Parts: sequence; C-alpha cells; structure tokens
Amino acid sequence: MSVSTLASFEYLERLPGTTFRRLYQQPSTALAIFRRMLPHLAKTFVMALLYMSKPFPLTDLDLWVNPNSKRERDKALQLLSRLYIITVTPPSRDDPQTITLTQKFGESLRLALTGGGEHNSFGVPSNDSVAEGVDLAFLDEYAREQWEGILHYVVNSVGQSMGGGGQGPTDAVKHLLEAGQLVTTGRHSGKGITQAGFSFLLQEVNAQVWTLLLLWIENAEKMELDSVEVLSFLFMLGSLELGRAYSKDTLTDSQRQMLPYLVDFGLVYIPRSSSGHFFPTRLATTLTSDASALRSVSAGFDAASSAGGAKGFIIIETNYRLYAYTDSPLQIAVLSLFTRFKARFPNMVSGRVTRKSVGNAISHGITSDQIITYLSTHAHPQLVKNASIHGGPVLPPTVVDQIRLWQIENERMKATPGFLFKDFENGKEYEGCVKYADEIGVLIWKNDFKKMFFVTRVEQLRDYIKSKKLK
Amino acid sequence: MNAVDGSDHYEVAAEGPAPSLLVIVLDTNPHAWALLAPTLPLSKAIANILVFINAHLAVNNANQVAVVASHSHRAVWLYPRPPSSVEDVEMSDMTSPHLDNANKYRPFALIEDSLLTSLRELISTTTEADISTTTTTQMAGALTLALAYINKATINYTGISTETKTTQTAVDTNEAPIGLQSRILVVSVSGDLAHQYIPIMNTTFAAQRLRIPIDILKLAGDTVFLQQASDATKGIYMHLRSPQGLLQYLMMAFLPDQMSRKHLIAPSQEVVDFRAACFCHRKVVDVGFVCSICLSIFCSPPEGAICLTCSTHLSLGDYGAKPAVVPRKKKKRKKINGGVDTGSARGTPAPGE
Amino acid sequence: MPRAIRGVLVQCDPSIKSIISKIDNEEHAFIVEELDDQTLVIKENMMTTLKMKLDEILKETQNNDESSSDE
Repeated sequence: MSVSTLASFEYLERLPGTTFRRLYQQPSTALAIFRRMLPHLAKTFVMALLYMSKPFPLTDLDLWVNPNSKRERDKALQLLSRLYIITVTPPSRDDPQTITLTQKFGESLRLALTGGGEHNSFGVPSNDSVAEGVDLAFLDEYAREQWEGILHYVVNSVGQSMGGGGQGPTDAVKHLLEAGQLVTTGRHSGKGITQAGFSFLLQEVNAQVWTLLLLWIENAEKMELDSVEVLSFLFMLGSLELGRAYSKDTLTDSQRQMLPYLVDFGLVYIPRSSSGHFFPTRLATTLTSDASALRSVSAGFDAASSAGGAKGFIIIETNYRLYAYTDSPLQIAVLSLFTRFKARFPNMVSGRVTRKSVGNAISHGITSDQIITYLSTHAHPQLVKNASIHGGPVLPPTVVDQIRLWQIENERMKATPGFLFKDFENGKEYEGCVKYADEIGVLIWKNDFKKMFFVTRVEQLRDYIKSKKLK
Repeated sequence: MNAVDGSDHYEVAAEGPAPSLLVIVLDTNPHAWALLAPTLPLSKAIANILVFINAHLAVNNANQVAVVASHSHRAVWLYPRPPSSVEDVEMSDMTSPHLDNANKYRPFALIEDSLLTSLRELISTTTEADISTTTTTQMAGALTLALAYINKATINYTGISTETKTTQTAVDTNEAPIGLQSRILVVSVSGDLAHQYIPIMNTTFAAQRLRIPIDILKLAGDTVFLQQASDATKGIYMHLRSPQGLLQYLMMAFLPDQMSRKHLIAPSQEVVDFRAACFCHRKVVDVGFVCSICLSIFCSPPEGAICLTCSTHLSLGDYGAKPAVVPRKKKKRKKINGGVDTGSARGTPAPGE
Repeated sequence: MPRAIRGVLVQCDPSIKSIISKIDNEEHAFIVEELDDQTLVIKENMMTTLKMKLDEILKETQNNDESSSDE
C-alpha cells in the first residue's frame, strides 16, 4: 500500500506537465489518479471544486478549513498543483488568489462521474461467447501461478531448489528483473538476489506489482512504447471488472503490443482458443485500489492456494524460537532472510530469530517493521486464537520489542539532506522565516538562540524571503 | 554500508484512510415533490444525487453506498435491492445495453441502473389511495432501515460481533477512527413529522451511541426533529435556499467523511429547535406537562390525571391557578400567605407571564 | 541577508557526534557547521565516506557478543 503509493508517486511527480495533460484526457486515468494518488483532504478539495463555476478564492478556502489543519491544507494544495490538478493564480495586489481545477482534469473527472463522451476508457466488454471454464477461481489461480513464478525466480537465487510446478517467468520478465536490479547475473554461479530484491519480496502483492510495472514503464521507453500510453492503459485495467471478457478490438496498436507483457506478469489472461478478447485478473483490477480494498487480493490468493496450506503458518515463541509449517520454498527463503534455521522437516522448518540474523536482514535494507508485519500477517491460527482469548497482541511483545531494538542498536544517527539557514539580520526576520517554513512543512530543526534553522526544501522559502525583501 | 544511518527506516508510512459507508435516506413524499417541481423536479434531484453517489465511491475503492426511499406509506430499499428481486437485476444485467457502455465506470453504471429501476418500481406501485390518505413520509422507518444496514455492514467489515464493538465505542472517547466509517444523509422535503416523534428520537439516540452522524439536507419544509437528530449526532444540517444548486451543496458540504471533517469547518445551524412533541396528540409543544415518573410529555393534563404511558396517578396540584407576584413582606410578619403559590406552581415557570 | 547552505543535517547522540568531530579533526573535510550537542551539518558529498569511517570505528568499539544466542 504505502510502499507502492510512494513508488508510483515518485514516478508520477517526475513527469513533465505535458505528460499530465495527455494523461488526463482519459477519464479512467483521471479517476484512478484521483482515487489512488491523492491524500484524503486533497480529494475533498477536488470534489468541492469540481462543479464550481467560478474560481474559488483562496481566502474562502481558509474559511472552510479548520485553522488547526493549515499544514494539511498546504500539503494538499502543494501536491495538487504538483500533479497539475489545480492551478493557483500567483499572488498579486489587485486580485485575490484563486484556485481552479485544470481544465482537462476537471472535464475528465466529470465525465468519469457522469458517464458519457466517446472515450471508451473504461474498456469495451466483449459480447462474444465467453470462453468456458474462465471463472474467478481460474483467473485467481492463473494470476497466482504467474506471479509466484516471478517470485520464485527472484528467490531462486538464494539457493533453494525450485519447488512445485511452474516453468518460471519468460525471458522478457527475467531481463526486466535484471534491469531493475532485483537480481543480478552474478560472477560465479548464475543469479544472485540484490538488496532491492529482498525488500521487493517482503512487500505485499500490490506493491510488488507496481514495483515491477514501474520498472517496465521505465524500460518501455527503450522499447519505443509511449509511457503515457502505458500508464493510461494500466489505469484502464484498474477500472475493469474481474471475471469479464473485454474486447481487444478497441485497443490501440501500442496497447495491443503491451498485452503479451501483461500476460507474462499475470495481470491479463488471454484464452488460447479465442484471441479476440482478454480477461483482467485480480492483480490488474486491484491496481488502483488502496489498502482497504486490497484485502480481497490476499483473500483471493488464499482461496487459490488453500489446497497448498492454511493462511498462517508461523509460530514464534517468547524464546525467539520460530516454527513455520510450510514446505513452500518461497516462504522458507523469505523466512531465511531474517531467521537462522536449525532443522527442516517435510512439512515444517524450525529456527531461531537472533540478533545476528536480524542484523543481517537489516543490513540488507529490510526494516524491523517489515519483519514484524510479515510475521504477524503470517501468524499461525493458533497464535491468533490465543491472542484473541487473552486480548493480547498476536506476536510475543518481547520478540517484537527485541527485533525493533536490534534495528535501533545500529542506527546511531539520522541524516536529512537539505539546507541550513543562518546569518539573519534580526530576530523578527528569523521568526517570520521559521514560521513560514514550519507551515509549509519543511522545517526539520531550529535553534532560536543561534537564529539558525534547517529545511528540506528551499524553493518556496527562497521565494518567500524574496517577496519579503521587496516590500 | 548504511547500517549506521537509520534515516531510511524513518519513512512514515501513509496509512490509508478507512473506507466509509454512506446511507442516503431519500424522502420521496409525492406531495412535497409536487410542490418542489417548479424549482427542482425529482428527476433532476436524482441525477444530482447520482453524481454525488459516484463522487463518494470515487473517493475510495472500498467506499460503499446504500439508498433508502422514505415513501408515503413505507420505507423501501432502492440500492442495494432487496434479495427477492436480485434475480431480476441479474437478468436485466445481460440485456440492458447501456451497462456495457465503455464510457462509464462499471460500478457507477450498476448502481445507477439498479437505483433507477427500483425507483421506477416504487413510483409505479404507488396507488392514488396511498397518496390521498397521507401527506407525510415514513422517515422513522427509513432511518431504522439505514441503521440496521450500517450495523450489518460494520459486522461484515470487521468480522466481530456488535456486542464488543458498541461497548468499545461507547467507552473510549478519543479513539482513532478504525474500521468502517458510516454516516447517514437524509434528503428531506417533507415538513411536519411530529407523529413519528418517538421512533425518530430513538433512532437518533441509537445513531448517537454508535457515533453515526446524521446529515440533513432540507430542500423544503422544516422539521424540528431532524434538526435535533443532526445536532445530537454531530451531523450537518443545511436548509437550501436555492435548491437548484443542490449538487454543489452536496459536493462541498456533504461529501467529506468523518476523516476530512476534522480538518474542515462544517456548516451548522445556529439555532436548534429543541422542542418536543407531546405523547398524546403528537403536537410540538413549547411548554407541556411531564410525568414525574416516566418523563412522558403531554400538551394538556391527561384525562383523570393518569399518565398515558405508565398509568401513574399524577396529582396536578393547583394547576391553573394564576401565579401571583408576592411582594416582599416586612420582616415583622411571621408568615406569608401560602395559599396561592404552592410548590408545584412555583416549580413550573410559566412563559409569557 | 540570510544565507542558505546546502548540506546534510545529522541528528545523533552526543557520543556519535564526538566521534564525528574526531574524524573531522583529522582533515576538516566533513563538517559544515556544528549546531549543538546532538546536531551538526555535514557536506553532502562526504556523507558516504563519513558513514564508512563511522562504521569502522563503531565496529571496533562494540563487542560482538553473539555467544548468548547460540546453544
């Protein structure tokens, strides 16, 4: 959730304004960006502005927003203008500052809400006879198989033998994983997993999908695919309905070109018999969902894999001993990232979480929170049951605390790149700047006595100081 | 290499906001809409509300919506449709071509279709006799349906029984919002609802306890009890002076959920009419009689001075005697004449005197 | 006129800070400004070098007592 949001965010924010204008031509894209990328308050602003006929004066917005939430307000406005969703008129003496939605975004979002237009951006369902045997369970199973194939490939480099079926991902995907440095073609013996690969493994499925897709988009430019086309196609996929067939005929050429890649990822299924339509899988339809909706993904996957084993399989005791009832090489490999295994049985492995093993994981860029989340989401039903009876936490608190402490142990400092401001002429000037920096949320550290402060971003503050100087 | 530096680990994970459930209670009182037709016909209002519903769903993937019609004789589900007619919906699903419109986000299209179908059904099944016998609307019933639905949805969402949930919400006061955030929006056009005073207040208190705000959007008429309902549940009350601007009001004032309302200054009524309705004639009263045992309210002393609710025999004291201003007597006098102001008359301040 | 200086703000314990000061004393290549006991500003391009040096020193000082976790 947060991980993928952050990743896709960063990518989008780097795009130039023209790209955004083109992206916003599709109502499905406008809707997806609105839904997925914006913080809650920003959504409220957009909706309030959507059907407003006149520009909205900034002073009126101040009246509407609770004075205590000024920081949230500024954050929301900043992000909205960075994503080219609103335009704020520059401050001038004659007219008050106003905000309006950018024309394209407003039009598209209104179209998305009311329906209409001739954009076909929500996919054209195919009316041909639907291929038999393609139901939700089948699609889930298919998506899971494809995706686990990719994960297996990433893990495989750890040294476990390939388990289960699956022929592994196609060459295109392998190249992509290498290009994204999730695995490296090592010097000695084939592949090796990288730090990025480790944290990739510990992400949840949706975040993994986005990580891979963003890699793909970055590489798509090399493959002479237009990133705008790719993005709007992905956003369209996110708005499709699971279990329905969609027609390929209305797709553009480049979109049709993308389909084989998406099949490789398990996002789309194309029946062999009929090539006229495609089915989006759960991986695709949840692309633009957020955390709360994503439960359905894991639920769907659990249903698909329920034959293999129960959902939770990890038991961890207060003495740091860990028992995992699984024979999946994938899970064992993931566990071995932060556990020292002692024994392996046909249906379970046992080991111990030690300072060294956790330290090892942390040095690979895995955080203690990631480990704890992984352990608690995969906790054995017995642990969960005990916890609910006694009303305590699922994992033993001692273990959780210790894992956190192990992480902090080596973190002796916190570094923040940015800018130090000093040499203010008088206290008033200093206080004005500090107050402004705090309001726009860039202030990290200040010392009133020395009249110095430290900020992460300098642009706005520079403008502010300049405008002060003019007066 | 970076082991000494913990900066990377301090990235604050942005927690996704909790999904919210919006139950819209739509007052479909035919009389009131007939009066409103010149300024805002029902069809236009529905179109606006549909856009509003879509906007609500657009905010979050997991957001849910439900619509209840409070009609003249009954309260009816418009969306989701009651299970009995679900099969019909699926049938029409296959046939109706506009559902397969690629220009509309499918979940939006589904809701719109289902809502319009049930609304048409409701209107076509309303007989003239229904209309002529009553001029009000079943608001209390609709609110009860809404609360029941919210309860069910909350259980579905969290998977825990309400017993523990309600006690928790009642006990801790400054909790972070978790789970499903529900709220009720009443689009009201009818006036007087005094005959449903007790059930409406009961639903209000239930909503208050469950922390479900009841927002009121008043297009016409004025209802004392809906004002009280929104006030008690910390909802928004708005009386539209220009119903044409319905959509803008909906989008700006009623779309923000509990999460964003923390950051906004919500429009609220300055004066809340706290009057109650009497239990005997369902009249809204300024000053009335209250049973000292069960606190029932009466507009005039019940017959034989026996409470209609709890059958306690009440003594009215010297009711009706004109309160007199007794001038302060000189200290020398031992006793003042107690015949006029008995305890009961003094205890009940009479307005207008 | 106030001045803005680019750099990396480092927040740490006084002990780590004194180690950094000690490293800096050798060549004066790292610190831009010492702010207080727990904060200082480091040149941006020297950050990685500093981290490596710090890591080395910390490894020497910390005793790696792993025996307790083994049986």
